[in-house]
Amino acid sequence: MRWVGGLALVLCAVSSSAAAQATNPGPRFNAGVGVLWNGRQPVGDKAATETTATGGTSTLFNTSSDLAGAAGVAGRIGVRLTRSLVAEVEAAYLKPQLRIAISGDSESAAAVTAAETIQQFTVGGGVLWYLPGREWSPRFAPFATAGGGYLRQLHEQNTLLETGRYYQFGGGVSTLLVAGRHFHLAGVGVRADVRALIRSKGVAFDGGSKASPAAGASVFVRF
Amino acid sequence: MRRPLALIVAAALVLGQSSPALAYLKFGVSIRGRQVTVKWSQTPVRYSVSNTGVPGVTAADFQDAVGRAFASWQAVPTASIAYQLAGVTSASPGSDDGVSVLGFRSRPDLDRVLASTNFLIDSSTGALVESDIFFNSAFPWSVASAGEAGKFDLESIALHEIGHFSGLGHSALGETELRTTGGRRVLSAEAVMCPIAFTSGSIASRTLKADDIAGVSDLYPDADFGTEGSVSGRVTKDGQPLFGAHVVAFNAATGQMVGGFTLNAQGQFSIGGLSPGLHVVRVEPLDDAELDSFFDGTRVVDIDFRVTFFDRVVVVPKGGDSGEIAVKVVRK
Repeated sequence: MRWVGGLALVLCAVSSSAAAQATNPGPRFNAGVGVLWNGRQPVGDKAATETTATGGTSTLFNTSSDLAGAAGVAGRIGVRLTRSLVAEVEAAYLKPQLRIAISGDSESAAAVTAAETIQQFTVGGGVLWYLPGREWSPRFAPFATAGGGYLRQLHEQNTLLETGRYYQFGGGVSTLLVAGRHFHLAGVGVRADVRALIRSKGVAFDGGSKASPAAGASVFVRF
Repeated sequence: MRRPLALIVAAALVLGQSSPALAYLKFGVSIRGRQVTVKWSQTPVRYSVSNTGVPGVTAADFQDAVGRAFASWQAVPTASIAYQLAGVTSASPGSDDGVSVLGFRSRPDLDRVLASTNFLIDSSTGALVESDIFFNSAFPWSVASAGEAGKFDLESIALHEIGHFSGLGHSALGETELRTTGGRRVLSAEAVMCPIAFTSGSIASRTLKADDIAGVSDLYPDADFGTEGSVSGRVTKDGQPLFGAHVVAFNAATGQMVGGFTLNAQGQFSIGGLSPGLHVVRVEPLDDAELDSFFDGTRVVDIDFRVTFFDRVVVVPKGGDSGEIAVKVVRK
């Protein structure tokens, strides 16, 4: 898997251990940075057709397109609103491949997958809710998330831009690795989550919304 | 001083005929060693219609059918050309009198020519001075709204010829097969300017396609055309430039196709009038029509290569070019 250059800004989400949350609302702010992976998204099938004498169509070749799964970087900043609720803003950067698989050529051309690499930026926000009933583990804090934001997809050569929106919901766990005051930090932890990602507009040859799985892992600090 | 030079184009046929097209979609002539695009220098372009009918098509029917065909070209939103009916005339098409006339003529000797367009051009500028279209009354014609079995649809053929009348050459966006009796039969087409007409009874060519729209807009661009994009590149075989390859840009979102050709010794092509977006580029040999339907006989067109897709997605920007792409093809 190839890493894209450039660190994405980012921000959010913090969490704290279940034990700490249970006894103390904890610090107000959190920031984290990590990696994420977005799953494959089909973006539409389209046939190249010609018109026949009767007004019907004859297929010259078929195309089937998708955005390949890709890894990227992401970051978050969170603000604790209540004991269980955190508001987050987040940004991410990925470079998925757009692939157009060409097949079924009427003149037997070899099947080919044409590709390009897209730079995808997202900026958005959401909420993280620490689930009740965390007594099953004193160290891990399970949570649910939901949110959405703005999507920007830049094609190769930076000459064509597509924009859209995304929505996501999912859940995960976080845990504190280091607790207590160290310098200005109140704690350091890690977080992992999985999401369902729904994209509206952006690269979509058939105009519809696109759904895919997504996952992320990050390191966060509390301050 | 004008020295008119007559060019003859035969199109919309059962069998493709020669046309001196030197550029994809557009006619060109060489003036003092310089390639010049043939087009009208002023619009609206005035035309007259003949007062002669044929069985099944009255003079009034004829005027209505060609009027609809002119209106289709004029309605292209990214083109600025306009046409104006000057009146009905008893003159026949083909007389070099400075008046553009459309009408029937009986030419049974041209047994595969449904219609033909003649030009008079200003030989110093390439500007069109006159353009006549004759429809061969040796064939049966129809203006029935749903078409008529055994008869050729006048509006469809007029739409093709008016493309020539406006300066467009042939498009190779069509698939054909050889007939056992000689000539070719068109199986499908995605351009009104395909050189071979559909069989009698068909009305499938009454609607302009993306390729036609790109062509006329390229010739007569209006302000909106500036937002369209283009693909340019080069085709080689065994490391050598390839002349006469048919290159098709397919918009992966809209499904629209626009074609062009490699037109110089460097094997370069440029396809304009594309909607901004992502395209697939397909290169094929020009083997679905007679070569002289596209190029004059002095050109050596290489058709010994396999159909090939470019292996990158081609990004066409708004109002700009993709940047040169390089397509390598291999021998059959």
